[in-house]
Amino acid sequence: MDRELIIHGENLTHIYPNGVEALRGVTIDIYRGEYLAIVGQNGSGKTTLAKHLNGLLRPTHGAIIVRGIDAGKAKVSELSRIIGYVFQNPDDMLFCNSIEEEIAFGPEMIGCSKEETKHRVDEIIQVLGLESMSDQHPFALSLGDRQRVAVACALSMEPEVFVFDEPTTGQDYFGGQRIMSIIDQLHASGKTIIIITHDMQMVAEHAQRVVVMSAGQIALDAPPEKAFTQLEPLETLSLRPPQITRFAFRMGWTDHAILNVQQMLAAMNGSHASSKIETGGEAK
Amino acid sequence: MNQTNPPENNIEAKPAPVRSWQSRGRIFGIPVSLIAIWAALFVAASAVPALPVPGMGGMITVNAIMTAISGVVLGPAAAVANMAGAIIATILFPFGAFFGPISFLTATVGGLIAGLTFANRWKLAGAIELLLIASWFVNPASWQPYMYLVPLPYTGIAVLVIFIKPLREWARNQILTQNKVWMWPALFLFASIGHAGEYLTSNSMTNWMYNLTWQYWIPTLPYWIGVDTVIVVLSMVVGVGVLIGLHRARLPHASDLYIKK
Amino acid sequence: MADVGYINQDSFLHRLDARTKLILMLAILVVVLVFTDPIYVIAILFLVLGAWKLAKLPLNMVGDIFKYFTGIAVIIFVLQAFFYPGETNLLQISNPIPAIGFSGYITLQGVMYGLALVLRLVVIMTVAPLLVMTTPMSDLMLALVKFKVPYRFAFILTTAMSLFPSIQNRAELIQQAQLCRGVGDFESGNFFVRLRASASILTPLILGAFRDSQILDVAMSSRAFGAPIQRTFLLESHFRQADYIFLAGSCLSLVGAVILRIMHLGVV
Repeated sequence: MDRELIIHGENLTHIYPNGVEALRGVTIDIYRGEYLAIVGQNGSGKTTLAKHLNGLLRPTHGAIIVRGIDAGKAKVSELSRIIGYVFQNPDDMLFCNSIEEEIAFGPEMIGCSKEETKHRVDEIIQVLGLESMSDQHPFALSLGDRQRVAVACALSMEPEVFVFDEPTTGQDYFGGQRIMSIIDQLHASGKTIIIITHDMQMVAEHAQRVVVMSAGQIALDAPPEKAFTQLEPLETLSLRPPQITRFAFRMGWTDHAILNVQQMLAAMNGSHASSKIETGGEAK
Repeated sequence: MNQTNPPENNIEAKPAPVRSWQSRGRIFGIPVSLIAIWAALFVAASAVPALPVPGMGGMITVNAIMTAISGVVLGPAAAVANMAGAIIATILFPFGAFFGPISFLTATVGGLIAGLTFANRWKLAGAIELLLIASWFVNPASWQPYMYLVPLPYTGIAVLVIFIKPLREWARNQILTQNKVWMWPALFLFASIGHAGEYLTSNSMTNWMYNLTWQYWIPTLPYWIGVDTVIVVLSMVVGVGVLIGLHRARLPHASDLYIKK
Repeated sequence: MADVGYINQDSFLHRLDARTKLILMLAILVVVLVFTDPIYVIAILFLVLGAWKLAKLPLNMVGDIFKYFTGIAVIIFVLQAFFYPGETNLLQISNPIPAIGFSGYITLQGVMYGLALVLRLVVIMTVAPLLVMTTPMSDLMLALVKFKVPYRFAFILTTAMSLFPSIQNRAELIQQAQLCRGVGDFESGNFFVRLRASASILTPLILGAFRDSQILDVAMSSRAFGAPIQRTFLLESHFRQADYIFLAGSCLSLVGAVILRIMHLGVV
């Protein structure tokens, strides 16, 4: 395989102090430049798995290797240069008195020079469109803006891999779109993206690989167009593919999931579609 | 309506003592919800041990910081909030409560004196501070050699701030006007009042209940002064962050009540 | 509401009204602070431990609690044994050392007084759990309200009780988030460093909680908190015969303790 392996988890098991077994033998490989979505019900172990990547949680058994570093032992501050983690609730991440300070905090902590820090802060503020609020207190901003600031904080560490825990929760449609377009940009610039989510529509539109977790194990690991053909297993896990995908199924185009309107139109026309979708077209 | 009301409609609202709706939902001008949240924070902080008490199994917990800054954040309502938090902490973590069921007094008194001072009710604050000092010096145990040194450093600061008008008003104004530089020493002074209140209450109770003699207090005094300094300085850091945050995020807190319109 | 610390059993202590138990607890507290003769304090301690046993509470918890206080207990005892100005010399340790106020002798009175203070500590530490473990929190709150403690205060207590676990979770998340942002010292063994780290959690924790309080405020107002009428309660509590007996007992023992003290009994 010519892709570079960046994260390797081997038989990961995690038992919380209260005895809950949140991970039960998870083995996963993540390659550079992937766009991966981890989905599953509450308590299926999504967040637990993600928190193993940067050492916030340590495996009870098994091993996790991040770019050759044993993430079961390395310091979080060391791993945070490789893995940027954006928490579900941005308020958990923000503690400085202005947006600028907030973004500068991470680089200062990992020992960047003053010029380097300034450079990073200015660049990030510009990229994320935070100019108008750079001297405001994070708590004075709206949830969507705070979410962007949280992304900015992760960005300032210049990690290779980004983990987003429920990035669109609690946001309106446009707020969610805005965050997703930032994430897409990061991916386009070569970063590896891992998203933890419930939102199947978002998975369908953005992710290139879906990992379905159930009861601490990986139930399914495939590209969305494959994963979303497994309607019944998904149904037992209370996961429903997007409406358009289910609609296509009802129409009888079952061997290849249709993820968005373009694919649907292509399938209906039958003319510009790929070979797999043409079969769908014939079924029509 | 006719007279055959079903029983559930028969609830006659008895008028309570005359108080407005607003004031019933508040204590010393602070919403009850905020006081309850502070109490919950206090309980959570009581679960985090920070510094050991020399020779004893007990620990000073992070709630010492909460007590020290409670006055400038909540005003006199800090006493109520700390009291509630400390009562629950005693129930949940009886291992941290030296004085059994009355352990809550320490944080209550600390918050009360600092809060009253911040509300500029310095006469009441001063009276309580003097009572507290008296409770230490009335005990024969404090007539032993050098015992006057034990409460001295931070209680001394507290007395100065409470009774010297220019100093008190200067410190209040720096906090109320959110002065970027002078807010820090001002918070140091107020954290000293809060912490000294807690410390002296606790020491006085120790002496009355367990009669520790100067042979304990004097050798451990340098340690105590160190502990006090650590707590007051950290409280200053946390306090400045919290007050700036509350102000800039326009969240309700005691300063709102005392800023002259 | 979570009944933190409550141990569900069927015993006479569980059946007593929470008000009775509160008064009983305070009576024991006062009485134990009155006496400094270990014989009297032992009597009180046996009373408390007897109640502990009768309430079918695990006695080994007394040991668990005391484990945390052996340090202070030893210090209290040693200080009094060495430095109490007693008359009956028991044991000569050394020549007098005036610099530390030591007479050279351990005295009978010093040992007795030290013992009494240590036993007093045990009583004080064991009496509050006795109340908490035999009374559901809701009963305790009702008792406070019946004692004319303003309902607002009882409300603050119950709300804080139910909110603090979520604040603890929040604190943990903030700590994790700070770790991710390059703060490395939570894992440090040095407690000054750890203390500094806890302080950096406190600021965002307090700010976040203050913002949440606004939501709580709306929820409370929308359920008529602070409405200018006398509120009623779903639960009611009533005194039984046993409550009156125990109340009378509490009052008698308080009066008795004061009389004994005036007669100069029960002090070393």
